[in-house]
Amino acid sequence: MIRFENVTKVYKGDVVALRGASVDISKGEFVFLVGPSGSGKSTFIRLINRENIAEHGRIFVAGRDIGDLNSWKVPYLRRNIGYIFQDFKLLHKKTVWENVAFALEVIGKPRHVVRHQVSAIIDLVGLSHKQDRFPNELSGGEQQRVSIARAFVNRPLILLADEPTGNLDPKTSVEIMRLLERINDTGTTVVMATHDSSIVNRMRQRVVELNRGMITRDQARGVYQ
Amino acid sequence: MLSYRYTLRETTQNLQRNLQLATATIITVGVSLTMFGGFSLFQTAVDGATKRWADGIEFVIWMNVDTTEEADKHIRRMLENSPEIADWHYKDQEETYKEFKEIVAGNEEILDIVEQEILPPSYRVAPIDNDVDIVQELGDQFKGQPGVRTVTFAGEAIRDIQDLAQRSGRVLFIGSVILLGASTLLILNTLAIAISNRQREIEIMRIVGATKWFIRLPFMLEGLVQGVLGAAIAMVSNMLLRTYVIDRFGQTDAIQLLSGFKVSDAALLRTNLTVLIIAVIVSVIGSGFAVTIYLDDDN
Repeated sequence: MIRFENVTKVYKGDVVALRGASVDISKGEFVFLVGPSGSGKSTFIRLINRENIAEHGRIFVAGRDIGDLNSWKVPYLRRNIGYIFQDFKLLHKKTVWENVAFALEVIGKPRHVVRHQVSAIIDLVGLSHKQDRFPNELSGGEQQRVSIARAFVNRPLILLADEPTGNLDPKTSVEIMRLLERINDTGTTVVMATHDSSIVNRMRQRVVELNRGMITRDQARGVYQ
Repeated sequence: MLSYRYTLRETTQNLQRNLQLATATIITVGVSLTMFGGFSLFQTAVDGATKRWADGIEFVIWMNVDTTEEADKHIRRMLENSPEIADWHYKDQEETYKEFKEIVAGNEEILDIVEQEILPPSYRVAPIDNDVDIVQELGDQFKGQPGVRTVTFAGEAIRDIQDLAQRSGRVLFIGSVILLGASTLLILNTLAIAISNRQREIEIMRIVGATKWFIRLPFMLEGLVQGVLGAAIAMVSNMLLRTYVIDRFGQTDAIQLLSGFKVSDAALLRTNLTVLIIAVIVSVIGSGFAVTIYLDDDN
């Protein structure tokens, strides 16, 4: 589903964020990206949905070299990739329902599709009773669930999560991880950057460790260390 | 696929969020286009009123309707042989009637009672030197010649009106161009603020796969709405200007020179269409620059 071939990403000022990274992630896998701050985890994620472009190497998503993708095709790539942020990035003037619907409206989905899919996904994340609330009326965990609903409402092939439990307490983090596991069970590939060792150790999924932009460990059913 | 409902909703919300700045932009566009429209309408009215004095024509030799061929040839010979005449041309009754219809356009009563046969043919004469005394002396040579009914002169008043119209037209034109430049910048600025207010939405739109044009369109439309509303103000102002200022000049008996000073419906429509097209161009340029500069998207 995702393949990195000797990928290097250099930011302005010759800051090397990723150095010769090669990795192959299969469909339906759950992969943790771990490593200290500045190790290249977020860069790795941003390269997958082409927010960033690699200087060297090739990246394949669903069999397609995304480095060769015309810029007008990038939105269509992103429709197959859900994205969850640490700070949720919800729109505060929109309700839960509107926040989730927004992701479908802006890609031109018809109203009846929006209505059906939004209701189903809000139900999946357990927020049906709060669908008319605004983000500031929700707890952090609930806001993250809205963010997950928005990322998954279009049923993407891949779900990218950049420290999704970074702002949550341990109990809420566990709930969020259960939700991500359920999504992964549907066949969606999940790539999650995290610092949360307890979550990684408990879930025993594949772990890719980055250090100073290099992949230093790639372990099936791994732990945080 | 574009969602028209979504685009319209977002455009409306953008305008509401930025109401004060949007209003200022609309008024500026309206004022600048009113100036442009006013310039255009006055120019049309002055051209109409001084039509027969255009292109250096300083006097007109009006012939009798029943002038003989011999008398006509005599006048032509005088014109051809005069070293002080730069140019002249003959207007027969048909051309004179056509010109008359343009001058009194819209006044059906006069058109009904005047027929082509009663209008005299004429020679329009442009002297080399347009000094008033020289022109007067030159024109007087034709008075009393066989077949000549009368000779009329453009005179200083006509020239003054043309000069005044030209100068004030230039000021209005330059003013309107400057204000249109300001309008473009205002539209750009309004959209920059709208884009800045919606940074997070734009970020989410990109992440979930909205196309570049889907993101841009509500902002482009916002600029277009501002331009078109400004044009609407200018079009209404132009209509009022025509009805309450220009036409009243033309109707006054006190100033004979201004008879024929009017703007036809067709000329007003032409001006208003031009105003609308300029508004669209200004808003497309302003909003085009804004989305290109401030949306800063290569994806």
